[in-house]
Amino acid sequence: MAVLSAGKLGPIFFVLIEYLFFIEIKFKSVEILKSYVIGDDMNPFQLDVNGLEKKARAIRRKIIRLNADSPAGGHTGADLSQVEIVTSLYFRLLNCAPDRISDDDRDIYIQSKGHAAGGYYCCLAEAGYFPEDWLPSYQHNDSHLPGHPVRQKTPGVELNTGALGHGLPVAVGLALAAKRDGRSRKVYVLTGDGELAEGSNWEAALAASHYQLDNLIVINDKNKLQLAGPTEAIMKTDPLDQKWQAFGFSVTQCDGNDVASIVSTLEGLKVEGKPNVVIANTTKGAGVSFIAGRPEWHHRVPKGEEIDLALKELADV
Amino acid sequence: MSNSEHLANVMVQCFIDAVNDGVDLVPVVADSTSTSKIKPFVDLFPGRLVNVGIAEQVMVGTAAGLALAGKVAVTCNAAPFLMSRSNEQIKVDVCYNNTNVKLFGLNSGASYGPLASTHHSIDDISIMRGFGNIQIFAPACPVECRQIIEYAIRYEGPVYIRMDGKALPVLHDAEFQFTAGEPSLLREGKQVVICALGSVVHEAVAAADTLKEDGLDVAVVNVSSIRPLNRQRLVNQLSGADHVISVEEHNVNGGLGSVVAELMAEQGMTAKLVRLGVEDGGYAAAGDRSYTRKMLSIDSAGIVMVCQQLVHETLV
Repeated sequence: MAVLSAGKLGPIFFVLIEYLFFIEIKFKSVEILKSYVIGDDMNPFQLDVNGLEKKARAIRRKIIRLNADSPAGGHTGADLSQVEIVTSLYFRLLNCAPDRISDDDRDIYIQSKGHAAGGYYCCLAEAGYFPEDWLPSYQHNDSHLPGHPVRQKTPGVELNTGALGHGLPVAVGLALAAKRDGRSRKVYVLTGDGELAEGSNWEAALAASHYQLDNLIVINDKNKLQLAGPTEAIMKTDPLDQKWQAFGFSVTQCDGNDVASIVSTLEGLKVEGKPNVVIANTTKGAGVSFIAGRPEWHHRVPKGEEIDLALKELADV
Repeated sequence: MSNSEHLANVMVQCFIDAVNDGVDLVPVVADSTSTSKIKPFVDLFPGRLVNVGIAEQVMVGTAAGLALAGKVAVTCNAAPFLMSRSNEQIKVDVCYNNTNVKLFGLNSGASYGPLASTHHSIDDISIMRGFGNIQIFAPACPVECRQIIEYAIRYEGPVYIRMDGKALPVLHDAEFQFTAGEPSLLREGKQVVICALGSVVHEAVAAADTLKEDGLDVAVVNVSSIRPLNRQRLVNQLSGADHVISVEEHNVNGGLGSVVAELMAEQGMTAKLVRLGVEDGGYAAAGDRSYTRKMLSIDSAGIVMVCQQLVHETLV
């Protein structure tokens, strides 16, 4: 047995402290989750951290198969980066259910980064908004699941998107209507970070702040990659938090690939009179080692042995 | 003229009447409160108007969101900025999403005259015709305008209404009943049929009346409903004519001129067609409205001249 020297103990001690810190975060998050009140008009799943993590893995497996079956490619990287965000929303946070998709008081989720429709569909299918056997028809002719979301085709989809920079202006209208009608609904919008170069977002940000839409929650899936390469190199959005602050938003950040971090952040939003933005720091392609962080997977789909390799990595332990 | 009325005033009165009738109507403007003459509405219903500032994209996006939440959302701003600045929001958020939004293109055509081409909308009909799922109207007089707006507010789905920016005299009598899709015959005649829309219908009617005194038999059809359009009715109105003229304060491509040309070609009609408006590749001249119309031969004198040349076969 090798004798541990003081020099070797340093890093081990550091790792131990980090581990304890991590446990504490998890513990706190679980406490927050327990305090969440369950009512009649609430999310029907109410999953805890472990349940959400398991759902996220199941949704990732669906994303791999969905993109592998697609005749027209897909956006695997973007689908994967948002998994924990949409999972947390659909399986815990959203006051919406498959049998209440027309309820006037339901919360609204808008997938503004419409190119990640595949990931969105897998989440909706997992939550029971439409039959799972629709998934293999993704991007096939006249499918219920086209390459970008279409509300007339897919139950649960709230807005047709695909052209970027459209979700937030429409969400402003929805949130404004809810305020005026005295409805308690919240409006969530998921954008990419590259998408924020579209000026319509900032027109909408002005209006959201002006009309004090504190029922509006913008989530930036900040995976730092876009079609042509790193967002930082193409058109940098940083310092993103300061930009949103300057536009009058209440800004928080979270680990966008950690359900506990997402849930505790979103459940903790309380600033009155200001719209919210949550900058969710994510990894594009998260969850699969050979896809994560690689720009070439923006529009690539898994093939051959990549499918089995990915599914193996995503198996429940 | 005593029976003249500005179409924006008609529009605002329709909004007021709709809200009084229980319609949850919300006007959305982009700083365009004076353009839309909306003050009487704001005075009666404070807090109902949404003003997003000089930002047309969010104006239309917000309107779509309001409509998704159950409101009848109506946007009111200058047609050139609505068309071009919020083009994709109209295409995606309004048309593709099939939201219950009514788009009012105010001061359309060359209403802004001397303010020049940034302020002219001579492409709006062609743009709207390229989009799916939206109904397109261009009222020619206050009576028709009121009925079109009343129809649009009741109709569930996207509508574009092309509004002229000047007070217009009444053309239709009290018995007039607007029906979406129906072109209305304002003057009967067999030698030449003039199709027109919007404020230049008045020029066409004046031209037809002048020509009648000269012994020419000229019909005027007001095609205020571009989509839907009862094609068979228009075919019937055109058939038998030796000559057809389309008149619009709009580019001849994609607007009424194209509607008529397509219909005639598809029906195998052999009458000669002359399309009057902004010529291919051109702009409307910056200047007084009457000057601009004169330059485009869409004033009554220009239309009279074209008709005479057609009938006497001297048009080259």
